[in-house]
Amino acid sequence: MDRDKLVAVKDLSVTYQTRIGPVSAVDHVSFDIYKGEILGLVGESGCGKSTLGKALLRMIDPPGEISNGEIVFEDKDIMQYDDKQMRDFRGRKASMIFQDPMTSLNPVQRVDQHLIETIQVHEKDVDNASALERAGEMIRKLGIGEDRMISYPHQLSGGMRQRVMTGIGLILSANLIIADEATTSLDVIVEAKLADQLRDIRDEFDISLLMITHNIALVAEMADRIAVMYAGHMVEIGDIYDVFEEPLHPYTAGLLGSVPNIQFDASEELYKMPGEPPNLTRPPEGCRFHPRCPKAMPICSRIEPAMTEVEPKRFIHCWLYQDHPEKMLRKG
Amino acid sequence: MSDKKELVSESVPEWQLELDRVGFLRRILLARKWYKGDWWFVLISGIMLLFIITVGIFPQWFAPHDPREEVGPSLLAPGEETPSFIVLAGSDSDAIKFADIAGRKNKVGYIMGSQATQAMRDTLDRLNTQAEEEGIDIIYQPRGGRYETIDEGLEDLTNGKLDGFIASEEELNVAETDFSNFVRIDELRSSKADSFILGTNQIGQDILSRIIWGTRIALIVGLSSALVSFIVGVPLGLFSGFIGGPVDRILTLFMDSLYTFPGLILAISIAAVLGAGIGNIIVAIAVLYVPTYFRIVRGQTLTVKNELYVKAAHSLGARPLKILTKYIFPNVLPSVVIIFSVNVADAILTEAGLSFIGLGLPPDTPDWGIDLARGQDYLRRAWWLITFPGAMVSCVTLAFSMLGESLSEILNPRLSEL
Amino acid sequence: MSSSLRKFLITRFLLTIPMILILVSLVFFIMRVLPGDPIRSQLGPRVSEEQADRIRERLGLNEPILVQYFQYLKDMVTMDFGNALTRGERPIREELGERLPATIELTLPAMIFTSLFGIGMGSLAAKNRKKFIDYAIRVFSVFIYSIPIFFLGLIFQIVFGVRLDLLPLSGRMSSIILTQFEPITHFYIIDSILQQDWEALRSATLHLIMPSITLGLALTGVFIRLTRVNMIEMLKSDFITAGRARGIPEKRLVYKHSLRNTFIPILTLIGLQMAILIAGAVLTETTFSWPGMGRYLVDRIALRDYTAVQSTIAVFAFFVAFISLFMDVMYALVDPRIRY
Repeated sequence: MDRDKLVAVKDLSVTYQTRIGPVSAVDHVSFDIYKGEILGLVGESGCGKSTLGKALLRMIDPPGEISNGEIVFEDKDIMQYDDKQMRDFRGRKASMIFQDPMTSLNPVQRVDQHLIETIQVHEKDVDNASALERAGEMIRKLGIGEDRMISYPHQLSGGMRQRVMTGIGLILSANLIIADEATTSLDVIVEAKLADQLRDIRDEFDISLLMITHNIALVAEMADRIAVMYAGHMVEIGDIYDVFEEPLHPYTAGLLGSVPNIQFDASEELYKMPGEPPNLTRPPEGCRFHPRCPKAMPICSRIEPAMTEVEPKRFIHCWLYQDHPEKMLRKG
Repeated sequence: MSDKKELVSESVPEWQLELDRVGFLRRILLARKWYKGDWWFVLISGIMLLFIITVGIFPQWFAPHDPREEVGPSLLAPGEETPSFIVLAGSDSDAIKFADIAGRKNKVGYIMGSQATQAMRDTLDRLNTQAEEEGIDIIYQPRGGRYETIDEGLEDLTNGKLDGFIASEEELNVAETDFSNFVRIDELRSSKADSFILGTNQIGQDILSRIIWGTRIALIVGLSSALVSFIVGVPLGLFSGFIGGPVDRILTLFMDSLYTFPGLILAISIAAVLGAGIGNIIVAIAVLYVPTYFRIVRGQTLTVKNELYVKAAHSLGARPLKILTKYIFPNVLPSVVIIFSVNVADAILTEAGLSFIGLGLPPDTPDWGIDLARGQDYLRRAWWLITFPGAMVSCVTLAFSMLGESLSEILNPRLSEL
Repeated sequence: MSSSLRKFLITRFLLTIPMILILVSLVFFIMRVLPGDPIRSQLGPRVSEEQADRIRERLGLNEPILVQYFQYLKDMVTMDFGNALTRGERPIREELGERLPATIELTLPAMIFTSLFGIGMGSLAAKNRKKFIDYAIRVFSVFIYSIPIFFLGLIFQIVFGVRLDLLPLSGRMSSIILTQFEPITHFYIIDSILQQDWEALRSATLHLIMPSITLGLALTGVFIRLTRVNMIEMLKSDFITAGRARGIPEKRLVYKHSLRNTFIPILTLIGLQMAILIAGAVLTETTFSWPGMGRYLVDRIALRDYTAVQSTIAVFAFFVAFISLFMDVMYALVDPRIRY
């Protein structure tokens, strides 16, 4: 594996068995996460970004399952792990921060108990005193007063809770933190503070951060690279400046065009993408975006494109950037 | 109208419309794969209930005997043969059946204290009734001759003082007399059947018939009281939740107190005061469940009332009654159906309990609770008196609760996956 | 004690009063206002109307309803329950004083049994949802719930009392031992330990086994169901998922995290189930001839002794209200959200 790569996801698919039939929530997605980078994962509601995040920790519950693919973390395919290995993996190698910190914390457990338990579950021979010390250190580092260690979740403010959640995620020095809409429930000021904190943590510990959010502005500010998902497919992934400067996938273009920009001329209209996300039990043939794509070609409705590396580390999932004999036919 | 439909079509994804068009039957079959065990539970309990309700509506088709009639000897075990009594006549007699020697001029002997007299009496009743129906002018009423020992009686049979002698097999076996002078001409039974599948109780009533007729009573009481509770509780809950304010608070306090009050005691008190009788029992039990409907319906009403789409409708000027019936009620309905199912089960149990204590229906009604109470004294001797009625209560209650349980698994969106 | 806890406790305590008031008034309403003349049905047709009227006068039944109501309330508060109407019977208060402990002695072990068994099985079912053991437990719980308590009791009597002859069929203690037994608190188990009367202890315990297990078993059905439903909700909650995301093992999540959280609503439910428990106690006491309040109620009703019936039901009401209060207090102590 590339010395820089932390995670290599190959051809990952997540399927849910529902009453109406199988729903492919994530369909043959491949991408990498590099060490020490902040990768922003964006897309509309229902595009599969949260599912993808959960899949990375193999936390897909029935009736869903990971139906295909490999997740290679530091040279090991965690799809092969058994339950015990997965439990060890979760929290220690990679961990997750959730959207709603109030419901993500156990209401009858104190802050210090949360942290100590996490430590002791993974490192069995750590005694209470040393665990407590480590917990205290983490709390301090996150800027929470030490007197808060004995508080219950309901006694803390939203921002503090989220920081506690972050602390739980970091306490075992995980290499990858997945933040699933971690700032969505916070107000802008707190959000900004948390974002800064996460960036500082990344700088200090050299961990990778996968930010799953629908807040593109936040991603623009924080991320090194951005990945865009649509209807279970990853349509574009690349360096943040490159993508923002020139979005290559029609969907990305549309997405970025619909974000209000303070520099916009007030007379210019916001771009509104026509149509709706597709029904994932019967997704469109070929490229899933083709019904709404202004640049669709005949081949788009028949064959699915592959992820093409148009530039180093810049991948697009679109026929516009890929050659195919059929493209030549019926042109014009 | 049509443009409204188009409006709907535009905003509702096509796949959902198509799903609605898929047949009802196919949806049920699809559901089987999805709900697995629960689907089977619903099916099984549904079939059981269908059967039970049929038995309840037409008990006369299923019950072999009249439940109140004394059709056999008392405390006959299940399947045990009713004792039969042999009619002996002299070998020179030309009688070929008991009726031949049962006229007013005849004399028939028996052993003192034998059950044969009962059998004889029953047979005579039958013969007489039959004769009346057929218009034959014969009265069957032979004179009876009591004997202390079998041999004495047989002696008189031999020397012609008796036309016939009735005794059981055991009684005959004790005899020392030679039987070659006698002929067995008939066999009498004191009951209508050779044996009873589930035995008889202490009065001689057929247990099978009783429990079958008991089904009707149980269903009547169970369903009626549940219905009454429903009719009272649901509108009150809707109203209270919808109105809110002090009225709601008072009503809730009242209902909560009622709810925490031990149900059976409440039923007992009401039944004790109103007296026995099926109507009173239904009322007593109905009162018990009103708070449950009230609470659930009120809770749901409150939730739905605060949903945005209701507020939207309200702001658009929809009248309160319309909101109530169009939005709130349909949302409340699934829970209510489940409660109803469990309610009936509970009502049947409560009714059995009341009858067991002696507060239920009039004493001779074929009711499971009453049978259980009466059978209690015969615990040692005749286990079948209580086992079968008890099993019936359990089965019927089981069917209703199982239906309610599995329906709640299926219909309750919070608990189902996806 | 924090102020929010104090506030909660005071409010809750105060709420009990209107609750008892309503219950007790309900009893009054049922007894006095509904149709039917209790005195007449009690005395039978042979007593002349004059005599009946005199008795009514004595009992204050000819006063206007409102006056009767307040008299009744006063009686309840002072616990002046009057005398049983049948001649030669003891004051009702004494009678109840003996029978309440009997009922408690029966229901307490049943409650413990039910809680442990029910919660245990409910958690097991919730943890293994949609697997075989879940269905098995659910079938069991529905099955147990469907069997009437008294039938279950009768079956136990047949099997263990008659066929196997292991356990006594009725009563609290064998009559021989009873003649030499001196009850103090009227909790036979406690009394026999206090007096070191081991024969009595043995007898009391043996007599207690079948009734309390019957009662406990019958209630288990409801408990399993409630626990299971609450646990399933709990297991789907976010903090459980979050715990799983940091590698906490399933078993620990279920038993330590979920259960402690489920316990809180279950406590409230235990309080509410008291109603069912008491109903069950009435039937169990009748089946096993256990001289408790439930049996007393049934007997008195048969004798048409409405004074006694009224008082017994009132005592039941008190009992229920206080247990309910107790449960809520426990709830407050366990849930830190209320404590702080």
